[in-house]
Amino acid sequence: MSKAKKRVTTIIFELIMLILAIFWLYPYFWLVFSSLKPQREIYTQFWPSAFTMENYRFIFSTAEKMNRDFIRSLMNSIFISVTVTASVVFTSALVGYGIAKFKFLGGTILKNFTIFQMLFPGFMFTIPTFVVVKALGLLNSLGGLIIPALFSAWGVFMFTQSYRNIPNDFIEAARMEGASETRIVLSIMIPLARSTASIVGLFTFIGIWDNFLTPLILISDYDKMPLSVLLASFNHEYGSQIGAVLSGAVIQTMPMVLLFLIFRKYFLEGIAVSFK
Amino acid sequence: MKQKKSKFKRMNAIKGWTLVTPYIIHQAIFFGYALGWLGYLMFVKWNYLTPPKWVGFDNFIRVLTDEIFWLVLLNTANFMLYFIPISLLAAILLGMAFNKLKYVKTFVVLSFLVANISSGVGYSIVFQKLLSESGPINRFLFDHFDFTIPWFSRPQLALLAIALMVSWKFIGYYGLIFLAGLNAIPKSLYEAAKLDGATQWKQFTKITLPLLNPSLVMVLVLQITLSFGIFTEPYLITGGGPMKRTYMFMMYIYDNAFRKFTSTGPGFASVISILAAAISFSCIFLVRKSIEKEVNLV
Repeated sequence: MSKAKKRVTTIIFELIMLILAIFWLYPYFWLVFSSLKPQREIYTQFWPSAFTMENYRFIFSTAEKMNRDFIRSLMNSIFISVTVTASVVFTSALVGYGIAKFKFLGGTILKNFTIFQMLFPGFMFTIPTFVVVKALGLLNSLGGLIIPALFSAWGVFMFTQSYRNIPNDFIEAARMEGASETRIVLSIMIPLARSTASIVGLFTFIGIWDNFLTPLILISDYDKMPLSVLLASFNHEYGSQIGAVLSGAVIQTMPMVLLFLIFRKYFLEGIAVSFK
Repeated sequence: MKQKKSKFKRMNAIKGWTLVTPYIIHQAIFFGYALGWLGYLMFVKWNYLTPPKWVGFDNFIRVLTDEIFWLVLLNTANFMLYFIPISLLAAILLGMAFNKLKYVKTFVVLSFLVANISSGVGYSIVFQKLLSESGPINRFLFDHFDFTIPWFSRPQLALLAIALMVSWKFIGYYGLIFLAGLNAIPKSLYEAAKLDGATQWKQFTKITLPLLNPSLVMVLVLQITLSFGIFTEPYLITGGGPMKRTYMFMMYIYDNAFRKFTSTGPGFASVISILAAAISFSCIFLVRKSIEKEVNLV
């Protein structure tokens, strides 16, 4: 192939992929535009005749009169996700530190145990988690969603792996100066493993924010539901309010997309790490 | 000196234990104790209120003689028959395309990954509306080609629709796994093959495909796991229909364990979840046995 011909092929290929990528985002464009246009235009035209916030007004104020308080459930979602994410990053960093930097029998066993735990498919825990949460008296409370998720085997595993590359000298030096072990984790280990911390935080946040099955089972009151379940129940009962349902879907989706775009560098690293 | 060393060792162990103990306690409750319950529930009949009644292997017999169990298994296999080939082929091609791109690579990769992090509930609702009888896709087909596709009212079409939307979500992620695999293949192999006069196709079948084996196995494992655990999409879009043909294991477990009117108790449902896990592990084992090869690069 001549050089010029090769160049043309490359450009055509890049163009095709670019178009394909934009086409792939079509459901997103459709979702966002639909949430911003009058309900009757949702199925009939892609570009709205006029942009309107009517659908958002509906989901945030009218829906409340239908017993679906979306502001409340948005707050629930934020509270649950932030609490669990902060806890998982902190506890995984501490436990991983214990396993990676202290030589004792329990550490070695625990490291293998975290790998063993990750082999179990999530659906095996649906019923027993319900039973345990019920036994603890946490059914139908935010605590029931938060407490079982405060620690994560995957998080511990990720931190244990990444700490192996951090030299012990840093830790020794900090100990000389009389720093406590918690202090060492907070001000030395987490900052040095910040890419792991971001990955664990991002994936945990997305996983909890978007969890549907667990709150569906554990929560029965509308005012305690996170957004995912409330939105599904609203769609089930008032599916004809397409505009409102779709604006709810935008609110459910956007925090995840924004976090992904902000942390995309770590997300890509996270995927690369989990292949090893 | 020796005494000092052993004292240090002991201090070290005590500190280590202190750091990991909260984790052990938490996992003892939510992993160990929970698994214990699962094991116990398989052999009892219970309604969550009155004391459980020991029934031995009765739950196993009831599940295995339940028509629905076999239908769900068939549905899962049927779903995999669409989902795995479609998304596997697309992901390999996508991985190769990612590898070739120069100028628009970042944008293309990010676009496909944004699909991957879409919300489960959110995208189920979006595709439910997009593919609905009067939705934009059918409207487009009707206006330009004079026909519509009744996506969610024919069993095979409904399974295909769910397989397609799950593929929309996941092929970017799988493609990235293949990209990582492609990057690990040394360029020198291709140069040597070119010198020997190997065609593009031959290079693909003799070098690329065999050396992508670890990525291939990994994607297959993820696809199988996903197929056995799928819930949100069929639950929200089809409710298991039409004719129960999109009724999957997780819905079957959910209905039996938790839903009023359909609940037969957690014992029956626990057996379903154990059997589903066993079948999914067997599929993974079979895949590994039949296609996994030791690949040594360098």
